[in-house]
Amino acid sequence: MSNQLLRVSGLSAGTEDKPILHDVSLAVGAGETHVLMGPNGAGKSTLGHVIMGDPAYQVSSGTIEFDGKDVTEDAADKRSLAGIFLSYQAPVEVPGVPLYSYLRTITQKRPELKMTARKFRARVGEIADQLDMGSSFLTRELNVGFSGGEKKKIEMLQLLLLRPKLAILDETDSGLDVDALSVVSRGIETYRADCDGALLVITHNTRILERLKVDRTHVMVQGHLVAEGPASLIDSIDEHGFEQFEKASAVAGGERA
Amino acid sequence: MAESTLDARQDARPTAGHVTLERVNTPPAQTWNYLRANDITLTVPVHSRKGDVFFALPRLFEGVECGMGPTVTAWAESQAKDAHYVEVKAGEKRKEPIAAQEDTGVMVRAGAEATIVICTQPDGPVQDTTAALVRVIAERGARVHLLEFVCGGSDQRLDSVGIVADEDARIDVRQFFLGAGTTAAGLAVALDGNRARLDLTCRYLGREQDILDINHVVRQRGRNTHCDVRESGVLDGHAKKSLRATIDLVHGSSGSEGAELENVLILSDDVTNKTMPVILCDEDDVAGNHGASIGSVGPEQIQYLRDRGLSMQEAEGLYVRALFDEALICAPTPQTRAAVLARATDVLGSEVANDLVDGLGLRDAEEV
Ligand SMILES: Nc1ncnc2c1ncn2[C@@H]1O[C@H](COP(=O)(O)OP(=O)(O)O)[C@@H](O)[C@H]1O
Ligand SMILES: [Mg+2]
Repeated sequence: MSNQLLRVSGLSAGTEDKPILHDVSLAVGAGETHVLMGPNGAGKSTLGHVIMGDPAYQVSSGTIEFDGKDVTEDAADKRSLAGIFLSYQAPVEVPGVPLYSYLRTITQKRPELKMTARKFRARVGEIADQLDMGSSFLTRELNVGFSGGEKKKIEMLQLLLLRPKLAILDETDSGLDVDALSVVSRGIETYRADCDGALLVITHNTRILERLKVDRTHVMVQGHLVAEGPASLIDSIDEHGFEQFEKASAVAGGERA
Repeated sequence: MAESTLDARQDARPTAGHVTLERVNTPPAQTWNYLRANDITLTVPVHSRKGDVFFALPRLFEGVECGMGPTVTAWAESQAKDAHYVEVKAGEKRKEPIAAQEDTGVMVRAGAEATIVICTQPDGPVQDTTAALVRVIAERGARVHLLEFVCGGSDQRLDSVGIVADEDARIDVRQFFLGAGTTAAGLAVALDGNRARLDLTCRYLGREQDILDINHVVRQRGRNTHCDVRESGVLDGHAKKSLRATIDLVHGSSGSEGAELENVLILSDDVTNKTMPVILCDEDDVAGNHGASIGSVGPEQIQYLRDRGLSMQEAEGLYVRALFDEALICAPTPQTRAAVLARATDVLGSEVANDLVDGLGLRDAEEV
């Protein structure tokens, strides 16, 4: 099991005054595709942000290991350079920073991706084409005034540009129309094919999973991982919802109290 | 080219001494007195004009309110050799940008379109003071793009601009205040005609001992006028910035809307940052959001950048680089690009500055 890319062990975390995640353990092997499901407010996004290293959350116990190293104490930028990528559920608007300047800066930061400006432009153009993005967006401010779907495409653009070892996709599919959804799905496929990266997909929607071979499914309720199973678990959730797990969680919560 | 000869000529003239321009660049309503940032007092050189015969602008331009106020207008007029008058004929779409000089008046006739550029000259010996006084009249349905690049070249820079917009005229102004030293800039836009529209973006950089004094005045007089004012910038070192932004919804401007928003990133504890947003409203029926607010770069923005691999310092540096990237994207002529690039080289170093140019594909374009 030491060959896991990501290993979260006994992780409890929350904000200063509110515990959110309780004793969460989960492991993702290199190149694997995992799915994380759960009702709204379960703590899925929080888990993504804690793995990424958002200082808004404090880890009270447990560890996060990535690529054989304990990164629990590392700053987010260090984790990013190590190969973790979190696609935001709601990408942040960054006024005052044109997308071009941003993409160029985050790429040049990585020794393995450093390239001439000319090559870089060509590379960005190529990815933008794959994502049906046109070209005028590059001079616009990062995420400012973009539609929900466009923002998600910009996240995918960064995913394909940065080629991380692990991508956590937080509801990348929610709120997209059919066309945008198929473009984004293609982007994810390309990432799997080109980078052989691992995926942790947080979603409510099974459509985005249709073209992916899912290795493992995890279910989170009220900050607890309450179930783990093969891809077929998704179908069972599709049919029966989360009620079966919510009861289990209530019992678990009761035992704790 | 025209501008550098002009500067040289200005240099050659004898300086008869200095004069103090007391309390200029003032907002229409002085409601923020306790901040003591209602104005700036500047000492500027005066050149003897004895015996000069010079050309003045058509009288029509006397009625155009300029952002730094009448004292600066009088001084700038008295110092400019000749006024520079440009007329863009009705319906003409003028491609070649108009380089505005010391004292310039531009008449954009009905339905015409023009780009006006104000740009400092950062190469050559650093001068004491340079100034631009630019007045624009946009007739019915005209489109005016005004681009302002302050990129150094003098210890002290004064830019005073006034624009009057008639019915359905559309004005967009992009200001880049990136130079070192003192920059005092005033812009007054009168949306006199119905449905006249202004989009103003202002980007500034203050570092070291820089002083930035910015005055924005928008008078919305026509019905259903629209104005959108966005300022943002980065302050570091001991920089001092005062920004006065006034939206004046004059009686009779029913159906108009105006909005102003500033974002500022402050990188040092020694920065002095003053912002005075004012909405004057003498009209009940002004629709929509006419609010003024001050934002700042928050922890969510910084965290997003860190999640993608930038350290705190690199995230902050990105904001500075972005100012120059944006200025280069907007710079319409080789001359303005050279000015931005020269300043970028000072601030960011030549490696990054060259990367800006290469990345935007400007070098290729220039070589062809
Ligand atoms: N920064 C935060 N501050 C306060 N509460 C938060 C914060 N982030 C998440 N929460 C709370 O933690 C719970 C889990 O939220 P979240 O992780 O967004 O759930 P999910 O992504 O599963 O819908 C919610 O009750 C949410 O309100
Ligand atoms: Mg969520």
